Amino acid sequence: MIPVEYYVVLSAVLFTLGGVGFLIRRNVIATLMSIEIMLNAVNVAFVAFNRSRTESHTGQVFGFFLIAAEAAEVAVGLAIVLSLFRVRRTVRSDEADLLKN
Amino acid sequence: MALWFVLSPLLVVAGGALLLMLAEAFSKEGARGGLALGTSIVFAAGFVFSIGVWLYGVDDVPERLALAPWLVIDHFTIFFDALLCLGGGLAALLAGGYLPEYNIERGEFYMLLLFATVGAMMLAAAGDVLTVFLGLETMSIGAYALTAFRRTSPRSAEGALKYFLLGAFAAALLLYGFALLYGSTGHTDLAGIGEAVKQSGEKTPMMVIALVLVLVGLLFKVSAVPFHMWTPDAYEGAPTPGTTYMAAVVKAGAFAMLLRVLLTCFGDKGSMSWSAGWPPALAVLAVLTMTVANLIAGQQESVKRMLAYSSVAHAGYLLVGVVSTMHSQAQGVSSVLFYLLTYTVSTAGAFGALILCGRRGAEAVSYEDLAGMGRRHPPAALAFSLFLISLAGLPPTAGFFGKWFVFRAAMDSGFYVLTVIAFLNSVVAVYYYLRVLVYMYMREPPAGAPVATPMKSGYVTAALLLSAIFVLLLGIVPQSSLEMAIKAASVFGG
Repeated sequence: MIPVEYYVVLSAVLFTLGGVGFLIRRNVIATLMSIEIMLNAVNVAFVAFNRSRTESHTGQVFGFFLIAAEAAEVAVGLAIVLSLFRVRRTVRSDEADLLKN
Repeated sequence: MALWFVLSPLLVVAGGALLLMLAEAFSKEGARGGLALGTSIVFAAGFVFSIGVWLYGVDDVPERLALAPWLVIDHFTIFFDALLCLGGGLAALLAGGYLPEYNIERGEFYMLLLFATVGAMMLAAAGDVLTVFLGLETMSIGAYALTAFRRTSPRSAEGALKYFLLGAFAAALLLYGFALLYGSTGHTDLAGIGEAVKQSGEKTPMMVIALVLVLVGLLFKVSAVPFHMWTPDAYEGAPTPGTTYMAAVVKAGAFAMLLRVLLTCFGDKGSMSWSAGWPPALAVLAVLTMTVANLIAGQQESVKRMLAYSSVAHAGYLLVGVVSTMHSQAQGVSSVLFYLLTYTVSTAGAFGALILCGRRGAEAVSYEDLAGMGRRHPPAALAFSLFLISLAGLPPTAGFFGKWFVFRAAMDSGFYVLTVIAFLNSVVAVYYYLRVLVYMYMREPPAGAPVATPMKSGYVTAALLLSAIFVLLLGIVPQSSLEMAIKAASVFGG
């Protein structure tokens, strides 16, 4: 059986990749995908940590809630991107620069 | 039966939201004027029920434990229920005047207000990582949509985009922190995590990373510097009642989460020590938040954006109160709760007065727009002055006692340097608040410039009257509400 540590390392790598992607990508769609990768890392971590605690399934149940809530969040996020595209004709976050100090 | 009773504030708002959504779906186009009224009534009912539950007392209701650990119903929760309903109600009243004036009256706005408030109330009650997450998402998703509400406005879309991206990023950081906490303690309920952290003594590296991630996620949500970048843009892009809502309700919900999570999970001596805990980090960020926000707020040309930075600065004062929990949790928390109450009514009033000063095609935005308001429209200028004085923290308004109790909590905990910095900051802040008054009373608009004329709306007037009553009551007789804050804070021992 694959040890739990491997999954935890996988989730840490995924989380870092997502975080770096969020910080360096300027295309909003790619940024959204990076956030999704980070949340998937959370899911992997929760489910993996549940392995050593056989008395309950809290971690796995958390995964289901996370998937559902994130679907809702992304729906709103994409709607916002769409409305930005309608008025500005761009999906790049560095071109959304009307609001400044 | 008793269980339904202690849950009633939450259920009233949730049920009212569902009913109004049905009513909106079946109402005729153009017959939606009643929605603002209906929404305000739902919030008022939520407020009344909270006060009722408060007066009855939740400690004697053993059934409330049936919901533990998912929802914790105690005086802290009920205090926030009342506070959130108050803020939501004020925002709904303002929306009732603002949306028709700018011709963006659509029913969704009120539904978003109601459901986001349900999320915030859930957040205040959350006693498990799962309910914290669900409450946070319910509140945040509503707030994102409120920001993007003016669909034809590029500013609205841009503000919402920044808010959404950074909000979702913060949620991911927070959740990963929770996942690591689950991994290192085996608990998802906050009390269980707190117990395990206390037992463990020396923290494992995983716990330290978890603490850092949770802290950063929480600070993003309360918009502390340097995690505040989204705040001014989102506040400026949102329609002004939406801004009011974010400044009042979303901020209060975020602080409820911050207090509950930090003090329950990391409330032990080890995590709260000056050498190895979170208070020093929070103290540094509190200083940064107040100073940076106040300095930038002073340079703004737009009053709305100035108020947005002022809301960031207020998060800094609130963090001073949170740091003071290091020595006395009850005193620190009670000062934060009372400050939130005074801040909610003052900021809602200030944004409301800004709404009142403008009309379609002539929305009051810059300081120049307000020039001469004191002579042309004394009531609007008077209301604006009252709320700004309260935000500045001068007597005899609510803001004075809010600052007073936070500073005293910091002094009693021995944080003299922090108190002095906070005090100096509130002196600096007086400059940009009073600048509005100078423009309103001592300047005249240049000849031929477009002049802002106040709108006429019963809803906005009602919201302003209500906040003015609260601001003056809390500023003159703060005793009873302070006692409520102290009782609510007593759920955190020590």
